[in-house]
Amino acid sequence: MQAEEFMLVRDLVRTFATRFRVESADPDPSHRAAAQKALGELGLAELRGSTPPDATVQECALLAEEHGSRPLTTSLLGTVLLAPELLRLIGDQMSPDQVSPEAGPSQTIALAADLRFPGPAGTDLVAWDCEGADRALHVAPDGTVTSLALGPAVPSADLLRGIRSVPPDSPAVTLGRLDADRLMHWQAYALTLLSSELVGAARSFVGQSVDYARERRQYGRAIGSFQAVQHLLADATVLVEACTSATRYAAWCLDHEPPAQALTAARVAKAEVNASALDAVSIGMQVFGGIAQTWEHVAHLYLRRILLGSTTLATTADLLTTLAEPEPVR
Amino acid sequence: MTVTVTAATATDTPLDFGDPADLDQLRRRFRAWLAEHPLPERGADEPLPVFLHRWHRQLHSGGWVGLDVPQAYGGQGLSTLHQVAISDELGACQAPGIPRIGYLAHALLEFGSEEQCRRWLPRMLSGEDTWCQGFSEPGAGSDLAGMATTATRQDGHYLVRGQKLWTSYAQFSGLCLLLARTERADPATDPSARPHDSISAFALPLDRAGVTVRPLRAANGDDEFCELFLDDVRIEESERIGAEGTGWPLAMTTVSYERNALDTGHISRYGVLVERLRRSARDRRGELPDGLLSEIGRCYVDYQVLVAHTRRRTAERLAGRTAGPESSYDKLLMTRTEQRLYETALRVFPGEFFGEGESSGGGPLFGDYLYSRAASVYGGTSQIQRNIIAKRVLGLPSAG
Ligand SMILES: Cc1cc2nc3c(=O)[nH]c(=O)nc-3n(C[C@H](O)[C@H](O)[C@H](O)COP(=O)(O)OP(=O)(O)OC[C@H]3O[C@@H](n4cnc5c(N)ncnc54)[C@H](O)[C@@H]3O)c2cc1C
Repeated sequence: MQAEEFMLVRDLVRTFATRFRVESADPDPSHRAAAQKALGELGLAELRGSTPPDATVQECALLAEEHGSRPLTTSLLGTVLLAPELLRLIGDQMSPDQVSPEAGPSQTIALAADLRFPGPAGTDLVAWDCEGADRALHVAPDGTVTSLALGPAVPSADLLRGIRSVPPDSPAVTLGRLDADRLMHWQAYALTLLSSELVGAARSFVGQSVDYARERRQYGRAIGSFQAVQHLLADATVLVEACTSATRYAAWCLDHEPPAQALTAARVAKAEVNASALDAVSIGMQVFGGIAQTWEHVAHLYLRRILLGSTTLATTADLLTTLAEPEPVR
Repeated sequence: MTVTVTAATATDTPLDFGDPADLDQLRRRFRAWLAEHPLPERGADEPLPVFLHRWHRQLHSGGWVGLDVPQAYGGQGLSTLHQVAISDELGACQAPGIPRIGYLAHALLEFGSEEQCRRWLPRMLSGEDTWCQGFSEPGAGSDLAGMATTATRQDGHYLVRGQKLWTSYAQFSGLCLLLARTERADPATDPSARPHDSISAFALPLDRAGVTVRPLRAANGDDEFCELFLDDVRIEESERIGAEGTGWPLAMTTVSYERNALDTGHISRYGVLVERLRRSARDRRGELPDGLLSEIGRCYVDYQVLVAHTRRRTAERLAGRTAGPESSYDKLLMTRTEQRLYETALRVFPGEFFGEGESSGGGPLFGDYLYSRAASVYGGTSQIQRNIIAKRVLGLPSAG
């Protein structure tokens, strides 16, 4: 996109996020549908629909950061950025006669029940980040992509992100198969965009705790003037910067480097975010003191999102053991 | 509640992490040159700095030093990225990095006169002059502005009196970038006077009468740093860099380049050891405990994050931002990478730490391990970096 065009889109997402952010852990049930509808109206699902795509991965990553910066119930990742990319990769929009008409074309992605990248067909699956979706795309380890119908909602520690079951008898419609390079691109893309959303959340929450440290007074002075508090916030800032550099670079690699290299950069980014975004948010909570320990405060919404996000797609243990050895020479 | 994003952390537009088009060609040319001019043998008794100096001269003879310094001053007029690429190539073949003169060169470029740049920069790049940095003193470490060394003006020159400490490689250097107080700030007459405002910077030839250099042995056994005694040493006015009282901004420019991952050439050194650890993880699969395997993975992540961070900094610098307080991020990330790396290597290769025979009193890696402990001290301690981030990036209030 042109720089001006991108800034326009970014500002649309920013305005959307400010308008639809939830103020508490119990949003009005009608809010979810209204917010998702409003997000759909921004038309972001088409950003990478054409060949070559209008938007770079880095631009999408920046939008994911914006979306992550507020507590939102909407699915930007699953339905707007991830599933359409998958459909683009298999180069095959589902033809209408393949899908039962009541299911509708709105897709999210399917993950393993523990939210990691899924195993082969027949293993336990859930539809992740599924607000507004009617079906979920399952990518098997061999690259086969199938579309599955959804069951009822599943409770999750991340109170805002929608998750639904995928019934074991859900009829699977095979859409195609990703070759090795496309499979790597897909995994790298998913890891990078999830990491970006989590970085956006961590950056925003740390920023809020810095603001709080300026305002809150104890012992007759702002708590942000205590060196112990300053050092906590400096550390959180460095962690957020490290996450930002890693995710932005991973996104750039998807735009410019071969998929194997992009996948390594994406794994590095997710590993950094898994550990550092969580540490940064924990520090922010500490600076808020007791107020951040309440149900009413947004802190736990950020913490839940990042805590669960840090085990989604790939856990730290998965990533570090993979990255501990040199990439096999292909 | 409002969320303020300071300009320093605004990262909401795309960045170009790519290499300039001609970089591949430069890398290839350098590799070809390196094949014909390999790293020389280090003599049995040759001190490391002397050996590195020979290497510096050799690199310079090929035109590989000061790529980002203007041609008028002996450089190549290319970008920082070009210099970083050479660093990278050296790291990849396990040779020592480019000489760490980037931060001194930038101080001269920003604060020196045209005449001074012509006089000192070409000889600095070529290695004819070796420079050291005389900032810290026994009573002024973190609190650098509290320095006591004075430069008193007398008939067109200065007389310098005082003591410097931790001056790395002064015993091998011809010139010292020296900070001294030219005038006492007097808060009684000028309430706005800060101790910073009376500091000036000089280029001091270390063979001047009145200079005594006394090496101090470092914990790892190396002869790295020195004490510098200055006894009524005469410095000419033409050797003052910048106007009187501009020593503080010059020092801050120097240290922020010194903290910048780009300019220090440490990264390639980390890369070599990280890859050794990873090869070992592959070759000893099943032997290393899972916890240690994860630590190796974590070292690789630290290292790659640092590489990504450096590329981001470069992109920002090319987009017109100079090294500022954010280089404290770089410093803390380098420290994190280096300290975890050597702690991990200690567990993976214990034989190379606890053997004997090196000046450190341990195996070949032991000295490097000890030096990694200094990473959170030199160039401003980790606590000072956090103070800088809190005050100058986040704008948090001071006590009182
Ligand atoms: C290997 C090495 C090479 C060096 N090379 C050079 C060189 O070439 N030229 C040069 O000029 N200097 C050099 N130095 C000196 C270095 O810059 C100083 O050691 C450093 O700035 C710390 O000063 P200090 O040693 O006096 O410690 P101090 O300032 O006394 O600090 C002691 C401890 O107190 C903490 N502390 C101090 N002030 C604060 C504060 N305000 N808030 C919180 N904590 C604080 C520090 O973090 C530290 O943990 C080198 C040092 C080393 C280790």
